[in-house]
Amino acid sequence: MNQPLVKIEHISSGYFSETVLKDASLNIYPNDFIGIIGPNGGGKTTLVKTILGIQPLFTGKITFPLGRPAMGYLPQISQIDKSFPITVRELVGSGLGAKRKWFPHLLKSQKTQVEKLLGEAGLLPLASRPIGELSGGQIQKAFLCRAIINNPSLLILDEPNTFVDKSFEKELYRWLEELNRKMAILLVSHDIGTISPMVKTIACVNVNLHYHPSNQITEDILKVYNCPVDLIAHGSVPHRVLKEHDHE
Amino acid sequence: MSEFFSIFEYAFFRNAIASALLTSVLAAMVGTYIVSRKIVFISGGITHASFGGIGMAYFLGLNPFLGAAIFAVFSATGIEWISKKGNVREDSAIAILWSLGMAVGIIFVFMTPGYTPDLMTFLFGNILSVTMAELILLAAFCLLTALFFWIFYRPLLHTAFDPEFSQIMGIPVAFFRYAMAVIIALSIVISIRAVGIILVLSLFTIPQITAMLFTRDFRKIIPLAAFWAALGSVMGIFLSYFLNIPAGATIICYLTLQFLLVKLFVISKDALKRQGPGKVHKG
Repeated sequence: MNQPLVKIEHISSGYFSETVLKDASLNIYPNDFIGIIGPNGGGKTTLVKTILGIQPLFTGKITFPLGRPAMGYLPQISQIDKSFPITVRELVGSGLGAKRKWFPHLLKSQKTQVEKLLGEAGLLPLASRPIGELSGGQIQKAFLCRAIINNPSLLILDEPNTFVDKSFEKELYRWLEELNRKMAILLVSHDIGTISPMVKTIACVNVNLHYHPSNQITEDILKVYNCPVDLIAHGSVPHRVLKEHDHE
Repeated sequence: MSEFFSIFEYAFFRNAIASALLTSVLAAMVGTYIVSRKIVFISGGITHASFGGIGMAYFLGLNPFLGAAIFAVFSATGIEWISKKGNVREDSAIAILWSLGMAVGIIFVFMTPGYTPDLMTFLFGNILSVTMAELILLAAFCLLTALFFWIFYRPLLHTAFDPEFSQIMGIPVAFFRYAMAVIIALSIVISIRAVGIILVLSLFTIPQITAMLFTRDFRKIIPLAAFWAALGSVMGIFLSYFLNIPAGATIICYLTLQFLLVKLFVISKDALKRQGPGKVHKG
């Protein structure tokens, strides 16, 4: 009954011969909403890419007790070439697999699916535009649509709140809350203050992984986890996380 | 005017025009991929590396284009392999390949006994001497490439744009990347016939950037680039014929001039557009 979607056991991974992530273990359950935090270069992205199978596994193993789930992925937008001539419609459609191997165009039903999601996201007026003409928030939205169009059971988001304004951030979080009813979410962020009210649990990744089974975390705990994240990076609301923690 | 039409009576001229149009279509498709993926420099490396094959083929008494094709395909797949491994500085590897290919070519041409009459053709192209057999080969390759682009449009675009995501989607990324490396290499070698090694790359870039002044939609860039390339190469052939100057170089000069004029047109149109509503607003 309580089988995890993904079972990560003592994995290490990295680039070429350099190990970035060491002896990390984590179970992801179907309705989890895990915030993955940690310093830059600490291995957050490496962890999610290893789960996605696009980064080699050096040691340990990753298993899927419920069968390999469909995964949706939103990469770091800074890694994307925004001048590439691809339209919003094509981008979102690229999240759908081809039904015919030797003629991999989208079926009519799949095209309708793309239009429907574009409509729900409010991107329809921009559908024929190249991604380079969109604002930061609109780009994130388009990439999120690409990630979820396949109805994944595991959604992985790498820094979805960079380059976006506050109003979009709110919309994004509302969206994620709704999606979380249907799928497990892994949300990578260096900005723990913003994500902590939304996530259910936290994984601190800095070479090693420490799982924190709550969305409340303090500087002391982060110190114990050897996970230096700046909690005061939020301008007018310093120690916001600490405050919220004290409330409860 | 009668002189203008009378040149069409010559088979060599009709062949040249047909070759220019087909090369334009081929370069439009492959060039759009090259420019979108920002691998113009890689393509330059492939082009120049192919000269090594030309020199070696001369020395061995084989068809120089065969030698060029083999060298181009090996260097293209080699660069793709290096960039996938990622732990070698790709730009340095390309620079080495670029000059090594030329060096090998020069040495073998030097060692080949006697005079090498067509050498200038490879360096600068000679579109006015294209034969019927070459034209058929070009047409066949153009058709195959168009079919490949049409059928596999989505995976081609997706693997070029975001290979990691394509891998997650289960697309055979390596297959499409290598297939495109081979197509790029062969397209370049086939187009060398028209404008030569030194100039060929501009046929794969200038019409594309001209088209991209109007659209940033991959699907629309291809036909628009084909139009600009065709217009440019046909105009280039006419100019070269009537002014009695080399065709390849004339085509490239014309393409560049065309790009600048179009760019100027787009800039001034945008400026007028910005000025227009502004005036109304103030008034």
